[in-house]
Amino acid sequence: MITLWRVFKSGFRNTFRNAWLSTAATAIMAVTLLIMTFFAFSIFFVRSQLNEVQQKIDLTVFISDDAKDEQIKALQNKVLQSGGVESVEFVSKADALKRLENSSEEGKKLAKSATEIGNPLPASLEVKLEKLDDIGGINKQIRELPEAVIITETSYDSRDDNRKGVIENVIKISNGVTRVGAILSIVFLVIALLIIFNTIRMAIFTRREEIEIMKLVGATKWFIRGPFIVEGSMYGVFGATIATIALIPIGRVAGQFLIDKFNAGQAMAYFGTNFWLVVLCIYALGIFIGAVSSWLAISRHLKL
Amino acid sequence: MILLDRVTVIYPNKTVALSGASLHIQPKEFVTVVGASGAGKSTLIRLLIKEEVPTSGKIIVGSIDYDTIDKSNIPHLRRKIGVVFQDFKLLPNLTVYENVAFALEVSGVKNTEIKRAVPKILQLVGLSEKAHHYPGEISGGERQRTAIARALVRNPKILIADEPTGNLDPKNSWDIIELLLKINRFGTTVVLTTHNKEIVDALKKRVITINRGRVVKDEKVGKYSL
Repeated sequence: MITLWRVFKSGFRNTFRNAWLSTAATAIMAVTLLIMTFFAFSIFFVRSQLNEVQQKIDLTVFISDDAKDEQIKALQNKVLQSGGVESVEFVSKADALKRLENSSEEGKKLAKSATEIGNPLPASLEVKLEKLDDIGGINKQIRELPEAVIITETSYDSRDDNRKGVIENVIKISNGVTRVGAILSIVFLVIALLIIFNTIRMAIFTRREEIEIMKLVGATKWFIRGPFIVEGSMYGVFGATIATIALIPIGRVAGQFLIDKFNAGQAMAYFGTNFWLVVLCIYALGIFIGAVSSWLAISRHLKL
Repeated sequence: MILLDRVTVIYPNKTVALSGASLHIQPKEFVTVVGASGAGKSTLIRLLIKEEVPTSGKIIVGSIDYDTIDKSNIPHLRRKIGVVFQDFKLLPNLTVYENVAFALEVSGVKNTEIKRAVPKILQLVGLSEKAHHYPGEISGGERQRTAIARALVRNPKILIADEPTGNLDPKNSWDIIELLLKINRFGTTVVLTTHNKEIVDALKKRVITINRGRVVKDEKVGKYSL
Protein backbone atom coordinates (compact mmCIF):
# COMPACT_ATOMS: atom_id res chain seq x y z
CA MET A 1 0.00 0.00 0.00
CA ILE A 2 2.70 2.42 1.03
CA THR A 3 4.74 1.27 -1.97
CA LEU A 4 1.80 1.93 -4.29
CA TRP A 5 1.47 5.43 -2.88
CA ARG A 6 5.18 6.07 -3.40
CA VAL A 7 4.97 4.81 -6.98
CA PHE A 8 2.13 7.26 -7.65
CA LYS A 9 3.91 10.11 -5.95
CA SER A 10 7.04 9.60 -7.96
CA GLY A 11 4.99 9.25 -11.16
CA PHE A 12 3.32 12.63 -10.48
CA ARG A 13 6.63 14.28 -9.68
CA ASN A 14 8.26 12.97 -12.86
CA THR A 15 5.39 14.23 -15.00
CA PHE A 16 5.99 17.77 -13.88
CA ARG A 17 9.75 17.51 -14.01
CA ASN A 18 9.80 17.13 -17.79
CA ALA A 19 7.50 20.06 -18.49
CA TRP A 20 8.10 20.40 -22.24
CA LEU A 21 7.80 16.76 -23.08
CA SER A 22 4.76 16.48 -20.87
CA THR A 23 3.14 19.43 -22.61
CA ALA A 24 3.67 17.90 -26.04
CA ALA A 25 2.39 14.52 -24.92
CA THR A 26 -0.64 16.10 -23.26
CA ALA A 27 -1.44 18.23 -26.32
CA ILE A 28 -1.35 15.35 -28.74
CA MET A 29 -3.39 13.27 -26.32
CA ALA A 30 -6.05 16.02 -26.13
CA VAL A 31 -6.18 16.35 -29.93
CA THR A 32 -6.47 12.60 -30.37
CA LEU A 33 -9.24 12.33 -27.81
CA LEU A 34 -11.11 15.25 -29.39
CA ILE A 35 -10.85 13.73 -32.84
CA MET A 36 -11.99 10.35 -31.61
CA THR A 37 -14.89 11.92 -29.74
CA PHE A 38 -15.82 14.01 -32.76
CA PHE A 39 -15.96 11.00 -35.04
CA ALA A 40 -17.67 8.81 -32.52
CA PHE A 41 -20.31 11.53 -32.25
CA SER A 42 -20.51 11.98 -36.03
CA ILE A 43 -21.08 8.30 -36.54
CA PHE A 44 -23.68 8.28 -33.80
CA PHE A 45 -25.33 11.40 -35.24
CA VAL A 46 -25.47 10.18 -38.83
CA ARG A 47 -26.78 6.84 -37.67
CA SER A 48 -29.52 8.43 -35.63
CA GLN A 49 -30.44 10.74 -38.50
CA LEU A 50 -30.56 7.76 -40.77
CA ASN A 51 -32.84 6.09 -38.31
CA GLU A 52 -35.12 9.06 -38.34
CA VAL A 53 -35.19 9.17 -42.12
CA GLN A 54 -35.99 5.52 -42.07
CA GLN A 55 -38.92 6.16 -39.78
CA LYS A 56 -40.24 8.78 -42.15
CA ILE A 57 -39.74 7.05 -45.43
CA ASP A 58 -41.54 3.85 -46.02
CA LEU A 59 -42.89 2.16 -49.01
CA THR A 60 -46.35 3.25 -50.05
CA VAL A 61 -48.29 0.84 -52.22
CA PHE A 62 -51.17 2.48 -54.08
CA ILE A 63 -54.23 0.40 -54.71
CA SER A 64 -56.62 0.53 -57.57
CA ASP A 65 -60.10 1.91 -56.81
CA ASP A 66 -61.59 -1.27 -58.21
CA ALA A 67 -59.96 -3.49 -55.64
CA LYS A 68 -62.26 -5.41 -53.34
CA ASP A 69 -61.80 -5.47 -49.57
CA GLU A 70 -60.84 -9.17 -49.55
CA GLN A 71 -58.23 -8.55 -52.21
CA ILE A 72 -56.73 -5.72 -50.17
CA LYS A 73 -56.78 -7.82 -47.01
CA ALA A 74 -55.04 -10.67 -48.84
CA LEU A 75 -52.37 -8.34 -50.20
CA GLN A 76 -51.84 -6.77 -46.79
CA ASN A 77 -51.29 -10.20 -45.23
CA LYS A 78 -48.94 -11.31 -47.96
CA VAL A 79 -46.89 -8.14 -47.73
CA LEU A 80 -46.68 -8.47 -43.97
CA GLN A 81 -45.43 -12.02 -44.34
CA SER A 82 -42.65 -11.13 -46.77
CA GLY A 83 -39.20 -10.70 -45.24
CA GLY A 84 -37.86 -7.33 -44.14
CA VAL A 85 -41.27 -5.81 -43.49
CA GLU A 86 -41.99 -4.46 -40.05
CA SER A 87 -45.62 -3.43 -40.36
CA VAL A 88 -48.29 -2.70 -42.93
CA GLU A 89 -51.00 -0.13 -42.44
CA PHE A 90 -54.03 0.25 -44.63
CA VAL A 91 -55.00 3.80 -45.54
CA SER A 92 -58.40 4.01 -47.16
CA LYS A 93 -59.45 6.69 -49.67
CA ALA A 94 -61.29 8.52 -46.90
CA ASP A 95 -58.26 8.33 -44.60
CA ALA A 96 -56.07 9.70 -47.36
CA LEU A 97 -58.41 12.64 -47.83
CA LYS A 98 -58.48 13.31 -44.10
CA ARG A 99 -54.71 13.28 -43.99
CA LEU A 100 -54.50 15.74 -46.82
CA GLU A 101 -56.97 17.97 -45.05
CA ASN A 102 -54.97 17.96 -41.85
CA SER A 103 -51.58 18.38 -43.43
CA SER A 104 -51.62 22.15 -44.06
CA GLU A 105 -53.68 25.13 -45.18
CA GLU A 106 -52.90 24.30 -48.76
CA GLY A 107 -53.85 20.70 -48.14
CA LYS A 108 -57.21 21.81 -46.79
CA LYS A 109 -57.94 23.67 -50.00
CA LEU A 110 -56.80 20.75 -52.09
CA ALA A 111 -58.92 18.34 -50.10
CA LYS A 112 -61.92 20.55 -50.58
CA SER A 113 -61.59 20.59 -54.32
CA ALA A 114 -60.82 16.87 -54.28
CA THR A 115 -64.10 16.21 -52.51
CA GLU A 116 -65.89 18.20 -55.14
CA ILE A 117 -64.62 15.99 -57.93
CA GLY A 118 -65.30 12.82 -55.92
CA ASN A 119 -62.07 12.03 -54.02
CA PRO A 120 -59.47 10.98 -56.59
CA LEU A 121 -57.01 9.98 -53.88
CA PRO A 122 -56.13 6.28 -54.01
CA ALA A 123 -56.24 3.93 -51.07
CA SER A 124 -52.83 2.63 -50.06
CA LEU A 125 -50.81 0.27 -47.92
CA GLU A 126 -48.04 1.93 -45.93
CA VAL A 127 -45.24 -0.53 -45.54
CA LYS A 128 -42.66 0.04 -42.78
CA LEU A 129 -39.35 -1.64 -43.47
CA GLU A 130 -36.94 -3.20 -41.05
CA LYS A 131 -33.94 -1.91 -42.99
CA LEU A 132 -33.80 0.97 -45.39
CA ASP A 133 -31.29 -0.72 -47.67
CA ASP A 134 -33.85 -3.35 -48.65
CA ILE A 135 -36.37 -0.94 -50.13
CA GLY A 136 -35.65 -1.84 -53.78
CA GLY A 137 -35.74 -5.55 -53.18
CA ILE A 138 -38.90 -5.47 -51.15
CA ASN A 139 -40.59 -3.32 -53.73
CA LYS A 140 -39.76 -5.92 -56.34
CA GLN A 141 -40.91 -8.72 -54.08
CA ILE A 142 -44.26 -7.08 -53.48
CA ARG A 143 -44.67 -6.39 -57.18
CA GLU A 144 -44.22 -10.05 -57.96
CA LEU A 145 -46.92 -11.28 -55.56
CA PRO A 146 -49.98 -12.85 -57.27
CA GLU A 147 -52.10 -10.49 -55.20
CA ALA A 148 -50.28 -7.53 -56.73
CA VAL A 149 -52.80 -7.13 -59.54
CA ILE A 150 -54.64 -4.48 -57.53
CA ILE A 151 -51.49 -2.36 -57.17
CA THR A 152 -51.43 0.67 -59.44
CA GLU A 153 -48.02 1.87 -58.46
CA THR A 154 -45.63 2.17 -55.48
CA SER A 155 -43.76 5.11 -54.07
CA TYR A 156 -40.50 3.43 -55.00
CA ASP A 157 -41.02 2.84 -58.72
CA SER A 158 -43.34 5.63 -59.62
CA ARG A 159 -42.67 8.57 -57.48
CA ASP A 160 -39.61 10.73 -57.48
CA ASP A 161 -36.43 8.87 -58.08
CA ASN A 162 -35.12 11.66 -55.99
CA ARG A 163 -36.21 10.03 -52.82
CA LYS A 164 -34.49 6.82 -53.77
CA GLY A 165 -31.38 8.86 -54.36
CA VAL A 166 -31.69 10.60 -51.00
CA ILE A 167 -31.93 7.29 -49.20
CA GLU A 168 -28.95 5.89 -51.04
CA ASN A 169 -27.00 9.05 -50.36
CA VAL A 170 -27.76 8.95 -46.66
CA ILE A 171 -26.55 5.36 -46.52
CA LYS A 172 -23.42 6.28 -48.45
CA ILE A 173 -22.68 9.24 -46.19
CA SER A 174 -23.20 7.13 -43.12
CA ASN A 175 -20.80 4.49 -44.36
CA GLY A 176 -18.33 7.14 -45.46
CA VAL A 177 -18.36 8.91 -42.11
CA THR A 178 -17.86 5.62 -40.31
CA ARG A 179 -14.92 4.71 -42.52
CA VAL A 180 -13.20 8.11 -42.46
CA GLY A 181 -13.83 8.38 -38.72
CA ALA A 182 -12.34 4.99 -38.06
CA ILE A 183 -9.27 5.64 -40.23
CA LEU A 184 -8.57 9.10 -38.80
CA SER A 185 -9.12 7.86 -35.27
CA ILE A 186 -6.65 5.05 -35.81
CA VAL A 187 -4.11 7.40 -37.41
CA PHE A 188 -4.27 9.78 -34.47
CA LEU A 189 -4.28 6.92 -32.02
CA VAL A 190 -1.02 5.70 -33.54
CA ILE A 191 0.47 9.22 -33.48
CA ALA A 192 -0.47 9.62 -29.84
CA LEU A 193 0.95 6.22 -28.99
CA LEU A 194 4.22 7.05 -30.76
CA ILE A 195 4.61 10.46 -29.15
CA ILE A 196 3.94 9.19 -25.66
CA PHE A 197 6.12 6.19 -26.36
CA ASN A 198 8.95 8.57 -27.21
CA THR A 199 8.26 10.82 -24.25
CA ILE A 200 8.55 7.88 -21.90
CA ARG A 201 11.62 6.64 -23.75
CA MET A 202 13.26 10.03 -23.24
CA ALA A 203 12.23 9.97 -19.61
CA ILE A 204 13.81 6.55 -19.20
CA PHE A 205 16.94 7.86 -20.87
CA THR A 206 17.23 11.00 -18.76
CA ARG A 207 16.57 9.05 -15.61
CA ARG A 208 18.87 6.12 -16.35
CA GLU A 209 21.16 7.10 -13.50
CA GLU A 210 18.28 7.23 -11.09
CA ILE A 211 17.04 3.88 -12.38
CA GLU A 212 20.48 2.38 -11.88
CA ILE A 213 20.60 3.66 -8.31
CA MET A 214 17.12 2.36 -7.63
CA LYS A 215 18.21 -1.05 -8.82
CA LEU A 216 21.31 -0.90 -6.65
CA VAL A 217 19.43 -0.09 -3.49
CA GLY A 218 17.08 -2.98 -4.17
CA ALA A 219 13.99 -1.48 -5.78
CA THR A 220 11.70 -4.10 -7.24
CA LYS A 221 10.88 -4.11 -10.93
CA TRP A 222 7.48 -2.61 -10.32
CA PHE A 223 8.77 0.09 -8.09
CA ILE A 224 10.93 1.26 -10.99
CA ARG A 225 8.38 0.68 -13.75
CA GLY A 226 5.32 1.91 -11.91
CA PRO A 227 6.12 5.65 -12.03
CA PHE A 228 6.47 5.53 -15.83
CA ILE A 229 3.08 3.91 -16.18
CA VAL A 230 1.66 6.55 -13.84
CA GLU A 231 3.35 9.23 -15.95
CA GLY A 232 1.84 7.86 -19.17
CA SER A 233 -1.57 7.67 -17.56
CA MET A 234 -1.21 11.25 -16.35
CA TYR A 235 -0.92 12.42 -19.96
CA GLY A 236 -4.18 10.59 -20.52
CA VAL A 237 -5.82 12.35 -17.58
CA PHE A 238 -4.53 15.80 -18.60
CA GLY A 239 -5.41 15.23 -22.25
CA ALA A 240 -8.89 14.06 -21.33
CA THR A 241 -9.39 17.11 -19.10
CA ILE A 242 -8.42 19.48 -21.90
CA ALA A 243 -10.58 17.56 -24.38
CA THR A 244 -13.57 17.71 -22.02
CA ILE A 245 -13.13 21.43 -21.40
CA ALA A 246 -12.89 22.04 -25.15
CA LEU A 247 -15.87 19.82 -25.78
CA ILE A 248 -18.32 21.92 -23.75
CA PRO A 249 -18.28 25.11 -25.93
CA ILE A 250 -17.83 23.09 -29.13
CA GLY A 251 -20.79 20.94 -28.16
CA ARG A 252 -22.93 24.01 -27.44
CA VAL A 253 -22.26 25.71 -30.77
CA ALA A 254 -22.32 22.60 -32.90
CA GLY A 255 -25.33 21.22 -31.06
CA GLN A 256 -27.39 24.36 -31.68
CA PHE A 257 -26.36 24.31 -35.32
CA LEU A 258 -27.33 20.67 -35.72
CA ILE A 259 -30.65 21.21 -33.96
CA ASP A 260 -31.46 24.20 -36.19
CA LYS A 261 -30.34 22.70 -39.46
CA PHE A 262 -30.95 19.03 -39.09
CA ASN A 263 -33.65 18.79 -36.49
CA ALA A 264 -31.17 16.84 -34.39
CA GLY A 265 -32.92 17.43 -31.08
CA GLN A 266 -33.19 13.77 -30.30
CA ALA A 267 -29.53 12.99 -30.91
CA MET A 268 -28.41 16.05 -28.96
CA ALA A 269 -30.69 15.23 -26.07
CA TYR A 270 -29.22 11.75 -25.97
CA PHE A 271 -25.75 13.24 -25.98
CA GLY A 272 -26.75 15.67 -23.24
CA THR A 273 -28.19 13.09 -20.86
CA ASN A 274 -25.18 10.85 -21.36
CA PHE A 275 -22.63 13.64 -21.07
CA TRP A 276 -20.92 12.17 -18.04
CA LEU A 277 -20.74 8.78 -19.66
CA VAL A 278 -19.03 10.41 -22.64
CA VAL A 279 -16.58 12.18 -20.33
CA LEU A 280 -15.90 8.93 -18.52
CA CYS A 281 -15.18 7.23 -21.84
CA ILE A 282 -12.79 10.02 -22.84
CA TYR A 283 -10.87 9.66 -19.58
CA ALA A 284 -10.82 5.88 -19.83
CA LEU A 285 -9.56 6.06 -23.39
CA GLY A 286 -6.90 8.64 -22.49
CA ILE A 287 -5.61 6.63 -19.56
CA PHE A 288 -5.65 3.51 -21.71
CA ILE A 289 -3.63 5.13 -24.52
CA GLY A 290 -1.15 6.62 -22.04
CA ALA A 291 -0.66 3.45 -20.06
CA VAL A 292 -0.30 1.24 -23.13
CA SER A 293 2.29 3.43 -24.86
CA SER A 294 4.16 3.79 -21.59
CA TRP A 295 4.08 0.06 -21.16
CA LEU A 296 5.44 -0.44 -24.67
CA ALA A 297 8.29 2.01 -24.03
CA ILE A 298 9.17 0.33 -20.75
CA SER A 299 9.24 -3.14 -22.17
CA ARG A 300 11.46 -1.99 -25.03
CA HIS A 301 13.81 0.39 -23.29
CA LEU A 302 13.84 -0.34 -19.58
CA LYS A 303 15.96 -3.41 -19.09
CA LEU A 304 15.86 -4.46 -15.48
CA MET B 1 29.74 -15.54 4.59
CA ILE B 2 30.78 -15.11 0.98
CA LEU B 3 31.86 -18.14 -1.01
CA LEU B 4 33.11 -18.18 -4.58
CA ASP B 5 33.98 -21.56 -5.97
CA ARG B 6 35.97 -21.70 -9.22
CA VAL B 7 34.07 -18.79 -10.72
CA THR B 8 34.74 -17.94 -14.34
CA VAL B 9 33.28 -14.99 -16.21
CA ILE B 10 33.75 -14.71 -19.95
CA TYR B 11 32.12 -11.76 -21.67
CA PRO B 12 30.43 -12.14 -25.06
CA ASN B 13 33.46 -10.54 -26.73
CA LYS B 14 35.56 -13.44 -25.33
CA THR B 15 37.28 -11.30 -22.68
CA VAL B 16 38.02 -13.46 -19.67
CA ALA B 17 37.21 -11.27 -16.65
CA LEU B 18 37.58 -13.97 -13.99
CA SER B 19 39.03 -17.40 -14.45
CA GLY B 20 38.48 -20.05 -11.82
CA ALA B 21 38.52 -17.60 -8.92
CA SER B 22 37.79 -19.14 -5.52
CA LEU B 23 37.60 -17.30 -2.24
CA HIS B 24 35.92 -17.54 1.10
CA ILE B 25 35.12 -14.58 3.31
CA GLN B 26 33.93 -15.18 6.87
CA PRO B 27 31.21 -13.14 8.55
CA LYS B 28 32.49 -9.94 10.23
CA GLU B 29 35.72 -10.03 8.27
CA PHE B 30 37.35 -6.96 6.77
CA VAL B 31 38.81 -7.90 3.40
CA THR B 32 40.63 -5.73 0.92
CA VAL B 33 40.69 -6.79 -2.72
CA VAL B 34 43.51 -5.32 -4.77
CA GLY B 35 44.48 -5.63 -8.38
CA ALA B 36 45.37 -3.57 -11.41
CA SER B 37 42.64 -2.03 -13.54
CA GLY B 38 40.97 -4.76 -15.54
CA ALA B 39 42.17 -7.47 -13.15
CA GLY B 40 38.60 -8.48 -12.35
CA LYS B 41 37.77 -6.53 -9.18
CA SER B 42 34.74 -4.83 -10.63
CA THR B 43 33.50 -8.08 -12.12
CA LEU B 44 33.81 -9.65 -8.68
CA ILE B 45 31.63 -6.93 -7.17
CA ARG B 46 29.10 -7.11 -9.96
CA LEU B 47 28.85 -10.83 -9.32
CA LEU B 48 28.20 -10.28 -5.63
CA ILE B 49 25.28 -7.92 -6.27
CA LYS B 50 24.12 -10.24 -9.04
CA GLU B 51 24.43 -7.73 -11.81
CA GLU B 52 26.57 -10.29 -13.52
CA VAL B 53 26.06 -14.02 -13.89
CA PRO B 54 29.14 -16.27 -13.90
CA THR B 55 29.82 -18.35 -16.97
CA SER B 56 30.66 -21.21 -14.63
CA GLY B 57 31.27 -21.75 -10.92
CA LYS B 58 29.25 -21.26 -7.79
CA ILE B 59 28.50 -18.23 -5.64
CA ILE B 60 26.91 -18.42 -2.20
CA VAL B 61 26.31 -15.35 -0.03
CA GLY B 62 24.84 -15.90 3.42
CA SER B 63 22.60 -18.85 2.84
CA ILE B 64 21.65 -17.80 -0.67
CA ASP B 65 22.83 -19.86 -3.61
CA TYR B 66 23.01 -17.49 -6.57
CA ASP B 67 22.22 -20.27 -9.01
CA THR B 68 18.84 -20.98 -7.55
CA ILE B 69 17.69 -17.49 -6.55
CA ASP B 70 14.53 -16.42 -8.28
CA LYS B 71 14.81 -13.33 -10.50
CA SER B 72 12.10 -11.56 -8.52
CA ASN B 73 14.16 -12.04 -5.36
CA ILE B 74 17.20 -10.17 -6.66
CA PRO B 75 15.93 -6.83 -5.27
CA HIS B 76 15.57 -8.45 -1.85
CA LEU B 77 19.08 -9.83 -2.11
CA ARG B 78 20.42 -6.37 -2.94
CA ARG B 79 18.74 -4.96 0.12
CA LYS B 80 20.89 -7.25 2.24
CA ILE B 81 24.12 -6.12 0.63
CA GLY B 82 25.16 -2.49 0.95
CA VAL B 83 27.26 -1.13 -1.91
CA VAL B 84 29.34 2.03 -2.10
CA PHE B 85 30.97 3.26 -5.30
CA GLN B 86 33.80 5.54 -6.27
CA ASP B 87 31.37 7.95 -7.94
CA PHE B 88 28.95 7.89 -4.98
CA LYS B 89 25.85 7.39 -7.15
CA LEU B 90 23.72 9.85 -5.20
CA LEU B 91 20.59 11.42 -6.64
CA PRO B 92 21.49 15.08 -7.16
CA ASN B 93 17.97 16.41 -6.70
CA LEU B 94 17.50 14.77 -3.31
CA THR B 95 19.03 16.02 -0.07
CA VAL B 96 21.42 13.92 2.00
CA TYR B 97 18.51 12.89 4.21
CA GLU B 98 16.31 12.05 1.23
CA ASN B 99 19.04 10.05 -0.48
CA VAL B 100 19.38 7.87 2.59
CA ALA B 101 15.62 7.65 3.10
CA PHE B 102 15.25 6.66 -0.56
CA ALA B 103 16.88 3.28 0.07
CA LEU B 104 14.24 2.58 2.70
CA GLU B 105 11.33 3.94 0.64
CA VAL B 106 12.26 1.62 -2.18
CA SER B 107 11.93 -1.38 0.08
CA GLY B 108 8.52 -0.36 1.39
CA VAL B 109 9.61 0.72 4.88
CA LYS B 110 7.01 2.77 6.77
CA ASN B 111 7.50 6.52 7.09
CA THR B 112 7.66 6.40 10.89
CA GLU B 113 10.43 3.84 10.66
CA ILE B 114 12.28 5.98 8.11
CA LYS B 115 12.06 9.02 10.38
CA ARG B 116 13.56 6.97 13.17
CA ALA B 117 16.32 5.21 11.24
CA VAL B 118 17.73 7.93 8.97
CA PRO B 119 18.83 10.48 11.61
CA LYS B 120 20.47 7.68 13.55
CA ILE B 121 22.55 6.55 10.62
CA LEU B 122 23.42 10.13 9.63
CA GLN B 123 24.74 10.62 13.13
CA LEU B 124 26.84 7.46 12.80
CA VAL B 125 28.52 8.76 9.65
CA GLY B 126 28.76 12.28 11.09
CA LEU B 127 26.41 14.04 8.70
CA SER B 128 23.60 15.16 11.02
CA GLU B 129 24.30 18.80 10.29
CA LYS B 130 24.33 18.34 6.52
CA ALA B 131 21.09 16.36 6.40
CA HIS B 132 19.27 18.97 4.36
CA HIS B 133 22.06 19.83 1.96
CA TYR B 134 22.06 18.61 -1.61
CA PRO B 135 24.96 16.46 -2.87
CA GLY B 136 26.20 19.43 -4.93
CA GLU B 137 26.61 21.48 -1.76
CA ILE B 138 28.85 19.10 0.18
CA SER B 139 32.43 17.81 -0.17
CA GLY B 140 33.45 14.57 -1.82
CA GLY B 141 34.12 12.94 1.54
CA GLU B 142 30.69 13.95 2.77
CA ARG B 143 29.10 12.59 -0.38
CA GLN B 144 30.83 9.28 0.15
CA ARG B 145 29.65 9.24 3.76
CA THR B 146 26.12 9.86 2.48
CA ALA B 147 26.51 6.86 0.18
CA ILE B 148 27.78 4.77 3.09
CA ALA B 149 24.84 5.90 5.20
CA ARG B 150 22.50 4.87 2.41
CA ALA B 151 24.17 1.48 2.18
CA LEU B 152 24.03 0.97 5.94
CA VAL B 153 20.56 2.21 6.73
CA ARG B 154 19.04 -1.17 6.04
CA ASN B 155 21.45 -2.98 8.33
CA PRO B 156 23.10 -5.09 5.65
CA LYS B 157 25.20 -8.07 6.69
CA ILE B 158 27.75 -7.18 4.03
CA LEU B 159 29.06 -3.82 2.90
CA ILE B 160 30.88 -3.72 -0.43
CA ALA B 161 32.98 -0.62 -1.04
CA ASP B 162 34.23 -0.37 -4.62
CA GLU B 163 37.15 2.10 -4.56
CA PRO B 164 35.32 4.40 -2.17
CA THR B 165 38.36 6.65 -1.83
CA GLY B 166 39.15 6.85 -5.54
CA ASN B 167 37.88 10.42 -5.84
CA LEU B 168 38.96 11.70 -2.45
CA ASP B 169 42.00 13.49 -1.01
CA PRO B 170 44.12 11.62 1.59
CA LYS B 171 42.43 13.23 4.59
CA ASN B 172 38.93 12.39 3.38
CA SER B 173 40.11 8.96 2.28
CA TRP B 174 41.22 8.14 5.79
CA ASP B 175 37.96 9.40 7.25
CA ILE B 176 36.11 6.98 4.98
CA ILE B 177 38.40 4.05 5.82
CA GLU B 178 37.99 4.74 9.52
CA LEU B 179 34.25 4.82 9.07
CA LEU B 180 34.42 1.44 7.32
CA LEU B 181 36.49 0.03 10.17
CA LYS B 182 33.95 1.33 12.66
CA ILE B 183 31.13 -0.32 10.70
CA ASN B 184 33.14 -3.55 10.64
CA ARG B 185 33.57 -3.40 14.42
CA PHE B 186 29.77 -3.28 14.71
CA GLY B 187 29.69 -6.68 12.99
CA THR B 188 29.24 -5.95 9.29
CA THR B 189 31.41 -7.82 6.80
CA VAL B 190 33.32 -5.27 4.72
CA VAL B 191 34.73 -5.97 1.28
CA LEU B 192 36.89 -3.09 0.11
CA THR B 193 38.57 -2.68 -3.24
CA THR B 194 41.21 -0.01 -3.61
CA HIS B 195 44.25 1.14 -5.52
CA ASN B 196 45.62 3.01 -2.53
CA LYS B 197 48.81 1.25 -1.40
CA GLU B 198 49.21 3.43 1.66
CA ILE B 199 45.78 2.50 2.94
CA VAL B 200 46.15 -1.22 2.25
CA ASP B 201 49.51 -1.41 3.97
CA ALA B 202 48.33 0.55 7.00
CA LEU B 203 45.15 -1.49 7.47
CA LYS B 204 46.96 -4.72 8.39
CA LYS B 205 43.88 -6.73 7.38
CA ARG B 206 43.35 -9.61 5.00
CA VAL B 207 44.30 -8.78 1.41
CA ILE B 208 43.20 -10.73 -1.66
CA THR B 209 45.19 -9.93 -4.80
CA ILE B 210 43.63 -10.52 -8.18
CA ASN B 211 45.60 -10.54 -11.38
CA ARG B 212 44.23 -11.30 -14.84
CA GLY B 213 41.09 -12.83 -13.43
CA ARG B 214 42.87 -15.12 -10.97
CA VAL B 215 43.30 -14.95 -7.22
CA VAL B 216 47.08 -14.84 -7.04
CA LYS B 217 47.55 -14.03 -3.37
CA ASP B 218 45.42 -14.27 -0.24
CA GLU B 219 47.15 -13.18 2.98
CA LYS B 220 45.76 -12.86 6.51
CA VAL B 221 47.67 -9.63 7.03
CA GLY B 222 48.57 -8.47 3.60
CA LYS B 223 50.33 -5.69 1.79
CA TYR B 224 49.68 -3.98 -1.50
CA SER B 225 51.82 -5.65 -4.08
CA LEU B 226 51.08 -6.22 -7.74
